[in-house]
Amino acid sequence: MNPAETPTPTLQEFLDSWDLFRDPVITGMLAGVLLGYLGVYIVLRRTVFVSAAVSQASALGVSLVFLLDMYEWIPHALAEPVAGALVCALLAMGFFTFNPERMRLTREGLLGLGYLFGSAGAVMAGDRITQEAHDIQAVLFGPGVVVRELDFHLTIVTTVLLMGAHLLLKRGLVFTSFDEESARVQGLPVRALNLFLFLSIGVAVAVTTHAIGALSVFAFSVLPAMTALALSGRMNVVFILAPLLGMVAGGGGYLFAFFLRFPVGGSQTFLACVMCGLAMASAVIRRRT
Amino acid sequence: MSIQDPNVLIDCRGLQVGYDGVAMLPPIEVDVHRGVFCVVVGRNGSGKSTWFKTVLGLIPPVSGQVMHAPGLKVAYIPQRLHYDPIYPLTAINVVRMGALNGFNFWGSSGLDYDELKLAMDAVDVWKLRDQSFRSLSEGQKQRVLFARALVSRPEVAFMDEPTSAMDVVAEREMLSLVDRVRRDRKMAVVMVTHELSVAAEYAEQVIFVDRTSRTVLAGTPREVLGHEQFARLYGQEKAHELLVELDHFQRRKAGGPHT
Repeated sequence: MNPAETPTPTLQEFLDSWDLFRDPVITGMLAGVLLGYLGVYIVLRRTVFVSAAVSQASALGVSLVFLLDMYEWIPHALAEPVAGALVCALLAMGFFTFNPERMRLTREGLLGLGYLFGSAGAVMAGDRITQEAHDIQAVLFGPGVVVRELDFHLTIVTTVLLMGAHLLLKRGLVFTSFDEESARVQGLPVRALNLFLFLSIGVAVAVTTHAIGALSVFAFSVLPAMTALALSGRMNVVFILAPLLGMVAGGGGYLFAFFLRFPVGGSQTFLACVMCGLAMASAVIRRRT
Repeated sequence: MSIQDPNVLIDCRGLQVGYDGVAMLPPIEVDVHRGVFCVVVGRNGSGKSTWFKTVLGLIPPVSGQVMHAPGLKVAYIPQRLHYDPIYPLTAINVVRMGALNGFNFWGSSGLDYDELKLAMDAVDVWKLRDQSFRSLSEGQKQRVLFARALVSRPEVAFMDEPTSAMDVVAEREMLSLVDRVRRDRKMAVVMVTHELSVAAEYAEQVIFVDRTSRTVLAGTPREVLGHEQFARLYGQEKAHELLVELDHFQRRKAGGPHT
């Protein structure tokens, strides 16, 4: 039946089925918090396409695990999609740390290559997988109504650990991002801080890509930070607003998808886009008045 | 080897600077003394920034040594190009960064509010503390960065073309301010500039570098500006003009008659 012809679900139905929806809603909200926070660095460092490329690499990792499992090249017990996503995400992050000027290329070029390689690989590997095709689709475009228990728990642990570490290192990371040369002169461990930032983005993207899909991951790592930057000119406020907005997009997008019967990933991304558009309009109006 | 003279902050011995093992300039022998105003001059692309960054430890030397006095406190004020104006930071956020060094960036800054005010007052930017850094004029931004440098109470401040994006009035104000703060705090300043008049008016020590002719001259302003190689590169007329300027400023500093 065409989804538009089915009756609109009610709030009571949603509440009655809360046990079913609880994990994906919380997962979406936590992913929004974590990626929204990290997104502030991603946007300010002008590396927006890093998260897109890394999430595609994660998708490739998931596809490869299914493929290797299907052909029995790895023991079934080891065929964990998140592990594949993590390995490929970290490899991609390592690839992006190469100095592109040594190859007479630009950073954007490397990102484009990483994105296309991940996408092409995921599509090609996905074509050979018949049994897990639904899971591949979920990774690329967002899951259906459920989230695996392992993904749910991994998202909680990753969010708590990475947010804690980021709050501790915030002053060093902001200084290094803003003025790397001065940070080096003042003896800050710039290389270690940059490595930590890249690794934390890689891990966050890999874990959340399998849980909520590459589309939502890219959206959460860019749009809430852009929205917060358009709304506030204070760094500390931006660091509070961006994860909050990410949380709203993660949870609100799920509700939007449920009540209007749209795919979750598309709904979360759409909601994040709407919030960003409104914030940009408000920034323009404030500047004019 | 270490520095023996307590008045020497930085000692460059046979220092050759360059990239990928290729030297841009001949070896340089220079000492930077406590409280001195040292100006590094040269044309665009002459190698002055490379020398400067090598001394700061940002680029490895091709050969020779750069020695810093034990526990030397160094501050750096970057060129406009090296910081990103899109960051939503207030002036006070930027100044607070000056207190970070090594691994002491965990938790709170530990920076005394009075210390912060003192540094910002010294360069007259306390009133700008809550303003967005990106909305400030170039002159104000450089003052804020100078306040950031002062927060760590440095013994030497390295300034890379601090007046490059300023108009003439802002440039004069900034240079006078740097000179005044340097004297008040007995702090050495090493400033890279392509403005030769800065060497005549403020410098006590001048380093002139020129990559094309592979020239390095270091000494007092009179020694460098009056050197025949300097005159050959910039022309006799310009060199003479600078020496006249130098005489004028030296008489003025000594309280003698103005010309």
